[in-house]
Amino acid sequence: MSNPTHRTDRIVGVLLLLLSIAYGWTASRFEVGMLSDPVGPKPFPYLIAICTAVASLWLILRPDPDPQWPPVSFWLPLGLVLGSLVAYAYLLVPLGFIVVTTLEMALLAVLFGARWWQGLAAGLAFSLVVYFLFTAGLNVPLPAGKIWGLGR
Amino acid sequence: MDILQALANGFEVALQPVNLLLVFVGCLVGTLIGVLPGIGPISGVALLVPLTFALKLTPESAIILLAGIYYGAMYGGSTTSILLNIPGETSSVVTTLDGNQMARQGRAGAALAISAWGSFIAGTLSVLALMLLGPLLAQWAIRFGPAEYFALMVFGFSTLSALAGKNMAKALLATLFGLLLSTVGQDPQSGMSRFTFGLLQLEDGMDFLVVAIGLFAVSEVLMILQDKAPPAVQATVGRVYLSLKEFTFSLLTILRSSILGFVIGVLPGAGASIASFVAYTVEKRLLGSRARFGQGDIRGVAAPESANNAAAGGAMIPLLTLGLPGSGTTAIMLGALVSLGVTPGPQMFQQHPNVVWGLIASMYVGNAMLLLLNLPLVGLFVRLLAVPSWFLIPAVLAVSFIGVYAVNNNPFDLLLMTVFGLVGYVMRRLDFPLAPVLLGLVLGYLMEVNLRRAMAISNGDVGFLFSSPIAIVLWVLAGLSLFAPTLLSRFVKRGALGDDEI
Repeated sequence: MSNPTHRTDRIVGVLLLLLSIAYGWTASRFEVGMLSDPVGPKPFPYLIAICTAVASLWLILRPDPDPQWPPVSFWLPLGLVLGSLVAYAYLLVPLGFIVVTTLEMALLAVLFGARWWQGLAAGLAFSLVVYFLFTAGLNVPLPAGKIWGLGR
Repeated sequence: MDILQALANGFEVALQPVNLLLVFVGCLVGTLIGVLPGIGPISGVALLVPLTFALKLTPESAIILLAGIYYGAMYGGSTTSILLNIPGETSSVVTTLDGNQMARQGRAGAALAISAWGSFIAGTLSVLALMLLGPLLAQWAIRFGPAEYFALMVFGFSTLSALAGKNMAKALLATLFGLLLSTVGQDPQSGMSRFTFGLLQLEDGMDFLVVAIGLFAVSEVLMILQDKAPPAVQATVGRVYLSLKEFTFSLLTILRSSILGFVIGVLPGAGASIASFVAYTVEKRLLGSRARFGQGDIRGVAAPESANNAAAGGAMIPLLTLGLPGSGTTAIMLGALVSLGVTPGPQMFQQHPNVVWGLIASMYVGNAMLLLLNLPLVGLFVRLLAVPSWFLIPAVLAVSFIGVYAVNNNPFDLLLMTVFGLVGYVMRRLDFPLAPVLLGLVLGYLMEVNLRRAMAISNGDVGFLFSSPIAIVLWVLAGLSLFAPTLLSRFVKRGALGDDEI
């Protein structure tokens, strides 16, 4: 069974085993004051930690064959999408929903094969429609953008 | 009779103009979600939950809308399977086998019609069964104490782990990961912060919507980005028409598959995909040489399409009577109900009859509405596939951002969503099932609370968990469901097991 094509699951198993140990260890350091119930906040996490450890050992012993990983050329678009999502979270409040959503949609559209001006136009149109639909129509507040002096 | 009276009240709720509109919107949106590849029912329901909060819908209206999306998606998923050989949902993968063959032989209209009728009959039967069995089960479950509830959840998680995904260790790890996430935030009883890493944003725990949208919607986008979305194809539908002969020819298959699908739907973890697969296999074996499955047999479309709709109805039973969702979609519905102040469970039939019976009645209405909606409008739905994916997918993502942001009006949740998007992508790549994570997250809190209540009653005696007959039965069943597949596989050949064991 220790065929090199089972490596991925074993690595994942080891990582999850480490996670369960770290999780259990964190739980053991909870400082519990007065107890309102006989169990307290620790045992349930312990239970999860033990079960996770057992299940990850099981995975290490009985791994699936390695999956097909995407080609190296996919790392760039993947990184771009994830990076842009992080940027989106940080820029949403300062720049406002319309601006960041337009840019995000334009980027994704390009990654999905559109031309940049198509993506930008579609993104802007959709962001505008959705913004006013939600804020004015449904009373869901969305950030208007601090740097434009629009509060929130 | 009690049930009839309750059902009449339910119809009063379901036939209110607002709720009728919501059934319609739910069915329509659900069908769209089903037709469009790349948005699954889980993401679809998760995306619309914030909307139900924003609109300040009553719990019964909210659940009616969400359920409409759920079975609408079951219904819509078949269309692309038949016409384009692209399953809109995992639950209609099997439908491609005979459905697309029929389309190639120029019988697309008949295939679409049988899937609509099969879904309608199965959906209606499963609502009937839900109506009859639900209250009985609730009456029985109302005697459950904390110990029984804890055992019930262990049972739920073990069947889930045994049935979801090919590798049980992975399903189990996914469930445990969800449970682990549920412990993040303030401890419900002592009020101390657990696993928050000092982040204030995690004090209230991780919101199930943020996790669901990240895990399902964002990772779906990443998967499509890699595989490059399928090219927009023009398909001809023709007349959606079924002859009486074809209908009677398939009727027995529809009935058998409905029952099978319903039973499978009740089991936690099984759900629509497995139901459609099992129904197809069973019919194929049962009919043997009398059928030409795989070559465009109309019953090969009727079986999976009936089964997946029946399963969607069956899945409502554990959700409504035990508060135990069996699938990712129902887990989101549970979360939404809890957020609206309704705790699903046996008491719900008494405390919130409007929600339960309103939902049941609306499912009758919805089934009829889907039939009316689908038969004439299939062509229109298919034309939507011509919308280029470079617009569609970013647009879906933009709507998810709103959904995530609206939960707490906090951009931190968008970061969390991104993290779970990556986690979901890796899990998909490695063949880890995603739905158990969501179930663990939604149920983890209740599981811990019940454990601690049980321990409070018994003053810390662990034996109390195994002290009642119901609890013992549940523990035994939990053990069996975890170990039976492994034990059986020693005696039975692997291939045969896949079909029969489920």
